Order: sequence, then C-alpha cells, then structure tokens
Amino acid sequence: MRYDVVIIGGGLAGKTAATALQAKGLKCAVVADGLSLRDVDLKEFVAAGGSLFSGDRVVKANVEDGRVLSLVTERLEDELLVADNYILATGKYFSRGIVADMNSVYEPVFGLDVEADEDRSGWFDRDFAADQKFMSFGVRNYGQGRVALEGVVLTNLFAAGEVLAGITGIEADAKEIIVKSALDAVANIN
Amino acid sequence: MQKQNISEFNFEQCQKCAICTTVCPVLANNELYPGPKQAGPDGERYRMKNPVFYDEMLKFCLNCKRCEVACPSGVKVGDMIQNAKLTLGKRSHVLRDTMLASTDFVGPLASAFAPVANLALGMKPVKAVLDATIGVSKHRTMPKYSSQTFESWFKKNKQSEQDAYKNHISYYHGCYANFNFPQLGKDFVAVLNALGYGVHLLDKEECCGVAMISAGMLKQVRKKAQHNVDIMKTAVEAGRKIVTVSTSCTMTLRDEYPHLLEIDNSAVRDSIVLVEKFLYQVISKGDVKLVWKPDYKAKAAYHAPCHQERLGLGNFTIELLRMIPGLELTLLDSHCCGMAGTYGFKKENYETSQKVGKELFDGIKAVNPDFVACECETCKWQIEMSTGYAVKNPVSILAEALDLEATAAANK
Amino acid sequence: MANNLKDNEFDVIIVGGGITGAGTARDCSLRGLKVLLVERNDIADGATGRNHGLLHSGARYAVKDSESATECIKENMILRQIARNCVDDTQGLFITLPEDADTGYGLDYQKKFIDACIAAGINAKAIDPKDAIRMEPSVNPTLIGAVQVPDGSVDPFRLCAANVLDAKLHGTKVLTYTELTSFIKEGDTVKGVRVHNKKTGEDAEYYAPVTVNAAGIWGQQVASMAGAFVGMYPAKGALLVFGHRVNNVVINRCRKSADGDILVPGDTVTVIGTTSTKIPFEECDDMRVTPEEVELLLREGCALCPSLANTRILRAYAGVRPLVAADNDPTGRSISRGIVCLDHETRDGIKGFVTITGGKLMTYRLMAEWATDAVCKKLGVTVGCVTATTPLPGSEPKDQYNEVKVPSYKGANLGFKASIGRQGSRAAAIDFTKAEDRELVCECENVTLGEIKYAVKELGVTSLLDLRRRTRVGMGTCQGTFCIYKAAAALAAALGKPEMEQKLAEDYLNERWKGMSAVGWGDTLREMEFMQKVYKAGKPSSFKK
Repeated sequence: MRYDVVIIGGGLAGKTAATALQAKGLKCAVVADGLSLRDVDLKEFVAAGGSLFSGDRVVKANVEDGRVLSLVTERLEDELLVADNYILATGKYFSRGIVADMNSVYEPVFGLDVEADEDRSGWFDRDFAADQKFMSFGVRNYGQGRVALEGVVLTNLFAAGEVLAGITGIEADAKEIIVKSALDAVANIN
Repeated sequence: MQKQNISEFNFEQCQKCAICTTVCPVLANNELYPGPKQAGPDGERYRMKNPVFYDEMLKFCLNCKRCEVACPSGVKVGDMIQNAKLTLGKRSHVLRDTMLASTDFVGPLASAFAPVANLALGMKPVKAVLDATIGVSKHRTMPKYSSQTFESWFKKNKQSEQDAYKNHISYYHGCYANFNFPQLGKDFVAVLNALGYGVHLLDKEECCGVAMISAGMLKQVRKKAQHNVDIMKTAVEAGRKIVTVSTSCTMTLRDEYPHLLEIDNSAVRDSIVLVEKFLYQVISKGDVKLVWKPDYKAKAAYHAPCHQERLGLGNFTIELLRMIPGLELTLLDSHCCGMAGTYGFKKENYETSQKVGKELFDGIKAVNPDFVACECETCKWQIEMSTGYAVKNPVSILAEALDLEATAAANK
Repeated sequence: MANNLKDNEFDVIIVGGGITGAGTARDCSLRGLKVLLVERNDIADGATGRNHGLLHSGARYAVKDSESATECIKENMILRQIARNCVDDTQGLFITLPEDADTGYGLDYQKKFIDACIAAGINAKAIDPKDAIRMEPSVNPTLIGAVQVPDGSVDPFRLCAANVLDAKLHGTKVLTYTELTSFIKEGDTVKGVRVHNKKTGEDAEYYAPVTVNAAGIWGQQVASMAGAFVGMYPAKGALLVFGHRVNNVVINRCRKSADGDILVPGDTVTVIGTTSTKIPFEECDDMRVTPEEVELLLREGCALCPSLANTRILRAYAGVRPLVAADNDPTGRSISRGIVCLDHETRDGIKGFVTITGGKLMTYRLMAEWATDAVCKKLGVTVGCVTATTPLPGSEPKDQYNEVKVPSYKGANLGFKASIGRQGSRAAAIDFTKAEDRELVCECENVTLGEIKYAVKELGVTSLLDLRRRTRVGMGTCQGTFCIYKAAAALAAALGKPEMEQKLAEDYLNERWKGMSAVGWGDTLREMEFMQKVYKAGKPSSFKK
C-alpha cells in the first residue's frame, strides 16, 4: 500500500506527526502496535481520511543507499507499506521502540545508531527516586530527528518522541518536549 | 545469555498496564466477568500454580480479541482465555453448545427441511422452550437456513464453467455462505469470474471450528481442523490461493489452528487470503480491470468486525470500497457488535450482548446509511436484528456496483 | 509457668524473629511459658525469608551427612502434617546429565545416592528418564538418569508468620522493629534485655531468668554482648526469581552440592539458587547480587531446565547462611552443618543464656524443640514438646481449597481462593462483607483489601515489606508498579496513619528496585520504565529527586 508518509507508532509523537502531516495535505498511514499509555486518540486522523493499522507491528524495513524503501508488517505480510518518507515514533522500552537485552541496547526495526552505556552496571541508580540513566538511552538524534545507520544519516526517516535519546517521558514538561520533537521531525518533510 | 523472552501466548510480556481492560466490551457490561487481564495473564499464573484457580466466569469472554489488538506488549490475551476454557472449562449446556457450534452439522439437516426449520426457529412458543431447556435466548431470531446450499447451487449451475478461466482460486465459503446465505457465495463467484478467476470448491470443506472452539469442544474441532488443512494442502499444491469471505473463518484457519489447536498449518497458512486483500492486491497490481455501473449510488457505513481488527486487514476493505464511484463511505468508530459468533445466542449472554452492541447501534443510527458494510456474518445477524439496517458484505456491494458483464469482457 | 509476673517480666526472652526464634517462641508458649520475642526488624527478615523455600527431603545431604538427611526427612513429614497452608507437595527429581559422567557423577553415583537416601529413611526411587520428562516436562530432556524423592516447597514467610501467630495465641508478646541494645547482667547471670524500638524511639527493659539467642548470623554479636563467643561465618547465597511457575516438580542435580543446582517452584514463581560466597559481617545487612552471580545461576539453571534461557526474571535476591564453627575446633575453620544448641552456663560460665544456631529452615522445629528443652531444664519445667503433632494456625483441614468456606460473592473468586492458598483455613477470618474489601489491591497476586486488613489486624504488619511477607502483595509480575500506590493507601488507612502513605510506598519501591536492577533487561527493564513513569511522570511528583 502506498502513502506519502508512514508513521510508525500511534502514541503522542506519532499522532502529533500524523495530524501535522495530514494538515499539509499528505496521505498518511499510522502503524500502532497496541494502544498508547498516554490518552491518545486517532479517531480524528481516521475521520480525515488517514489510514490506521492498529494492532499491527513493523517487523522489517527495506533500506537501500541511505533510503527507506518499504516496511514489512506482521499483519500485512506480503503487502508492503511504501512511502516517500517515514517517521519513527515507537517510544522506549515499554512500547518496544528500544530493546534492551542482557548486554546491549538497540532499535529493533532499522537497527539505528543508539546512545546507551554498554556496561549494564551503570544503567540504574540504587535510589528509585533519583535519575535513572537507562531512561535517557535511545536513538541518536543527528538534529531535527534525523537518524543514522552506522553513522550514515538516512534521507527519508525521522524519529520523534521518546524513542530518541535524551527524552525520558517523565520530564515535568514531557508532553511539550514530545510534541516539539514530532514537529521538528515533520519539518523535514514537505 | 538471555536474548529474548519466549512464553506461550507471550504471557510473560504482560506488563500489567491494564490497557486491555479499557477495550473489553464485556467487562464494561457484565459485572461477573473479571476482565481480560484477570482472565488472561493474571489468572494464567495462578492456573499454573493450581487448576483450582480456573474461574468459570471465563465463559463470558466473547473472544472478540480486542484485548490483543490493544495490547502494547503483543500478549495473546484472547487466545490464552480460549485455551484455558478449552483445557480447564466445564461445559454446562452440552446439547445447546453442540447445536450452536456444529454449524455444519445442524446446517445440512436444517437445509433439508428449511421451511420447517425456519418456521420452528422463528415461532415464539418453540423459542420459549429452547430458552428453558437448552438455553438459547428467546429474544434471538435464529439464523435462517436456506433451502438450497451454496455448494449444491454451485455444482448445479457454475462448476462446469470454471476450468475455462485463465486464473484459478479455491474458495473457502464457510458455513454461513453455504447454509444461511448462499447469495454471498453467488456474489463471490460472480465477482471473481468477472475478474477472470475460476472458482473451485475444496474437496469437502468442513466448518473452520470457530464456534466449537468457544464451546470448548476440543476433540471434535481438532479433527475438522486437520481435515481442512489436508484439503487445503491439495489446493495449494495445485498452485491455488484459498480465498475466504469470513473474517472469523480466516482468523481461525490461519491463527487459531496453530495457536490453540496445535494443528500445523504452515504449508497452507500463507496461501489463505481474505477476499478483500486478494482483490485489492490484484487490482492495485493492475492484473485486472474494473468497469463500474455509471448510475450506482449508495451511502454506506463501514463496521470493522472484531476479528477483522484482529486480522489487521480492514484497510484493504476500506480502500476497496473507496474505489467504488458513487459510494459514499463513512467509517464507524470501532466497537464490538456484541454477537461474537454464537455468544449472543446463549441465554446467559443475551443481555450483555445487547449492551455491548449499543455504541455501535447508536453510531449506525447517527449515520443513517442505506446499508452497513461489514465482512462478518454474525455481526450481520446482530446489527440487522438490533437496528433494522441491512448489512452487506463488501463482496456483495462490489457485485452490485460493478458492471459485471463489461468487467468480464475487459478481463477476457 | 511462674505466676504473678509483672508486665515486663517473662519466663523466657527470645532474641531473633526468624524461623528459629518464632519456632522457639511457639514451643515455649505451648509448654506454658510466658514468652517475649524481640526482633530488630520484621519477622522472617533474615535468612528465613531469603532462601529457596525448599521442603528438603534430605536427599541432598544423604551421601555426605546421613544425620542431617535423617533429620530432614523426619521434619519434612512433620511439616506436611502441621503446616499444610505453607507446604506444597511437589515431589522432587535428582537428575543426571550426560556431562555428569565426566566429573564422576554418572549413574554409578546415582546408585550410591539412592542407597544413601534409603539408609537415611528417604523414599528415593530411580525412574526412567522418559517418565521424568512426563512428570516434569520442563526438565532438561537430555537427562540420562532421574531419581524421585519426596521434596516439596515451603513458604518460609508463611511458616514463620504461622509460628508467630500461634505463639501470640498462646500469650507470647512479640516486639518487632525492636533492637537489643544490651543485656541486663548481674555478675555471671543474664537477667534480661535492654531494647530500643526503632519505630517509636522508645527504650525499655525486660526481665527473664533465661534468654535465648536465636539471632542467626547476627548471633555472634548477640553472644558477644552477653560475654560469650560463638564463631559465625556469613556465606552469601544469591537466587533468581522467574516470572511464573516454570516447573511443578523440584529439580536438583544428582551430584555433589554445587552452585545453582536446585530449581524450586514456589507459589506462583520458580526460584533458582544458590551461590555461596563468604562475605564480611558488614555486608550482611545490604547484599547485592552481582552480574557474575546472575550469569552463573542462569547458566546452571538452564542445565536443569533449558527454557529458563527464555523466561523472564523478575528479580534477584540474596540471603546469608548462618554457618557456625564447630565447637570443638577453636580455629573455627571446621563448619558444623548440624544443629548447635549451646548452654553458656556449662560452656562459658554465663548463666541464664542459651544459643540456638546452625541447622536449617527444614529443621527449625527440631531446633526449637532443643532450645525449649534447654530452657525448660533451666526453669525446672517438665512439660514435653507437642509441636510435632499440633497443627499450626491455618493448617487444617486437609483439602483446603474445597473445605475452607469463604463467602460466595459474585465475581472476585480469585482473590478468595488465593487467600486460602496463603492463609489456609484462617482465610475464613477475612471479612469480605463490604464490597470494597473484595476488591483486588494487588492483581498479580490476587490480594484483596480484606486480606490486607486481616494481615494488619492479626499478623502484625507495619510496612508494605511486612505486608508482602504475609500476603505476597507486590511480589508478582509487575513487582508493585500497578499496586504499590493502592497498597500504600490501604495500609496507611488500616494502620490509622494516612500521613505514612508516601513513606510506605517509597520504602517498598526502593526494595523492589534493588531486586529488579540486578536483572534489568528485556521485559523486566520494560517494567522498570513503566514503574518510573507511573510514579514520576507529570508534576509535581513526590517520587522524583
């Protein structure tokens, strides 16, 4: 299926990006792997003609020469999602936008460059209430939500929200930070 | 050392966020039901400790799988509940459940005596008796049985022509199209033939078993499932896709066979395709041409059935319907209709079933369409009975909107 | 026994509210003594609450230490009768893996093992590996030998609480969060104790002709305060808790005891352990599980049960074994594995002071019996011990899930049944009449508000950690993410101290955080992020620094 932009993630960042892009007259699809913990509703996006793939999950991305060509999802199987541009707004560990195993932290769809400590012993502070380092890990932001694969910045994929390093989602003004990051990412797309 | 967490039904991925409880249509309407989180992953840990923790209230789960669609952790909450019912549940209404679940057993009998069966199932005193003795709700209009099954119509009128087409598919029609509403099967054949596809029956298709699964009839359903996989294998070996019209059958054949019944369907799973996806793909690839009736005009409201939400293929239906010039399409907010297969037929569920459907019914009335577009046969029963609006399968809508003769000519 | 005692006078004072102290308090009170039990934290806070929860058959000791093995199997059979709500008869397997033959623990050893078990009175029988897999499908399928033994699991929190409850029902005064500051001595005689209540800040003095040191690893310090030396050797043992019951039968390795070779299904989870590392006394109160220990346990656990490699680990924790030097070895290098009951009058010339140490969770009742015998001898009391035949509170009737009557209200069945699983027949005392008391506070472990109120009223709960030991609140999959704020509010209200809510929650979260951090990856890390969000998102958040 073909769209102008495919947004991966139906949380606050994904919704903000999707509605902003829709307002620019672009044909958008949102892939939402489950509901967001935040009170996010995509009814208006759908009513305005947007396509929502709920309960679906991007399992693979086809990338060539620094460009995302298409996405494979769990439900659509052989029918690829194809777009000119893509937004990654998959959140952090909880929403599986970032995955941590015993010794590494990675971004599972594209394998994007991440900022994270390799040594797990520094991830946590003993005091629950103190800042926890693992909360700031995420995809490295090369400015305006631009992201890279092994140092090579991709031309048509932009990240927004908590999937980015440095955004924890528990900042006092977390919502504003997430919305701004989404609008930054959208600004790359005309 | 630990790379990924693997558990049956992904139950350990559950983070206890309780999002599933916000979408469960039963929890909101039946205080006896503990909800998907309790019935699913929370209960599962205790059932593993001791089966005494199995809660009979799980029978109120209508298997809509909205919990699975909402889950941000990929937990197969609905499957887990069905599995617990299959392995630990007691069945209290054996006769009633067997009758409602054996759609292809009662079907042939009822078809043979259709006028009598329809009369009997529609008359008040008889319904009251059913209500008292075997627990079918007297408020329900039982699905009518057709006097001629789709299969016998097809064999008599259409089968001989099919080899002449250049492309071929196998058609898994399901019990509904066969026994209750053969017109759907006829529309399917008309559309597929017009697009240049020969339609072939499977070698003695059996019920997919979705109703038997919810009735907990594990042994019977596994037998049917294995038979279906075997006959589909023959079709796949002949190079044919197996095209389906029912979302519930599709979900069962593709996903519930391996997940709940432990039937290996890997040889056929990828070849089973819902008709809307099949049509969208052949149309968008340019393999076929469509010629629409110039004067077709209608206002439709699309209701995505729960199992379509689970399959995640609703956008194919939407895009397909949007191709029809003259069709004004409104997307309804996604709510369960409350029927969920045979669930709504059971006496103890009738009230819940009606309450669950209310939001959808109100939504339809607000749009006031000419008809509701929907892929699911049991949604059709519920919506037609509860709102009075007609429900049409997208395939039937296409059959009406297409100039079938001109389309057939274009695809020769 | 003695009549006309003042409020601060007792027949016996017991220092230490672990299973040994609790068992001794119960035994003494059943023999008619007026008992004071003093515990510096909560009951079951030390080694009692930080082990496998294995109801040993004794098979593990059969080859090397026949005496311990015999003690174990006798006590095993007794606990099955007197503590039904604490014990789960899972049975156990000792498996032999192909690689064990290379280290001298092949099937020849298995034969020796079975012979030793039978000599110790343990019903051990070799079974076909195929039958072992049928009995426990999660067991390593490459096994070449299996022996079935009457292992089981025992909930040590519950067992300790039941002993304390019975002691209380027989007149024992229990002071938790009350620290021993010094002994009241007259010449060579211990006359009583000076204590400090850590919660209220109050100091007090209590008198008794006999004081029992049942302080486990801290027994060395307690003894030295009385002027005696007991050589203790703290050995840290780390364990991992998996997210659900992976196995339903205890799985052991049929070889010389080693690290990580016992896998125990306990209530809703499975526990692998343990390691063994000598540690300095200073670390006993704040042990952290290291990454090396986690890897070792995981590796050894996977040899018993390969699916552990893909099973979520909820948390890690560590306990300290109170190993005691054999009394006949002044260098302290030789460790005694058996029960050590010291009368300091004959040993050190200190009158009115007894130490009970060594032993293990499994033999706590026997330890208590020995200690109580020593106390009675000093007091001239001749009443015999009845703890081997007197059921603990909650233990009767036999088929608890079916025979214990809880009121039948619509819905919420899991909460009722789960409380029977924990409190046994005492669950009938939980008041479910109000609808709110039937609501679940902890959904993972099915703990109702009613059960929380019951625990506060009857089981001496002062914090969420105490509550966890009595009810499993917050011990499940989410480790409290979803229930701590509810539980804190419920507990603060039940205690009549609503202002404590925040502090109760903070203490509990820090304790959970400690255990989760050691295994913070995968789904557990997801839960940790969720936990941070639930308690810190938005502003102002009192959980944020």
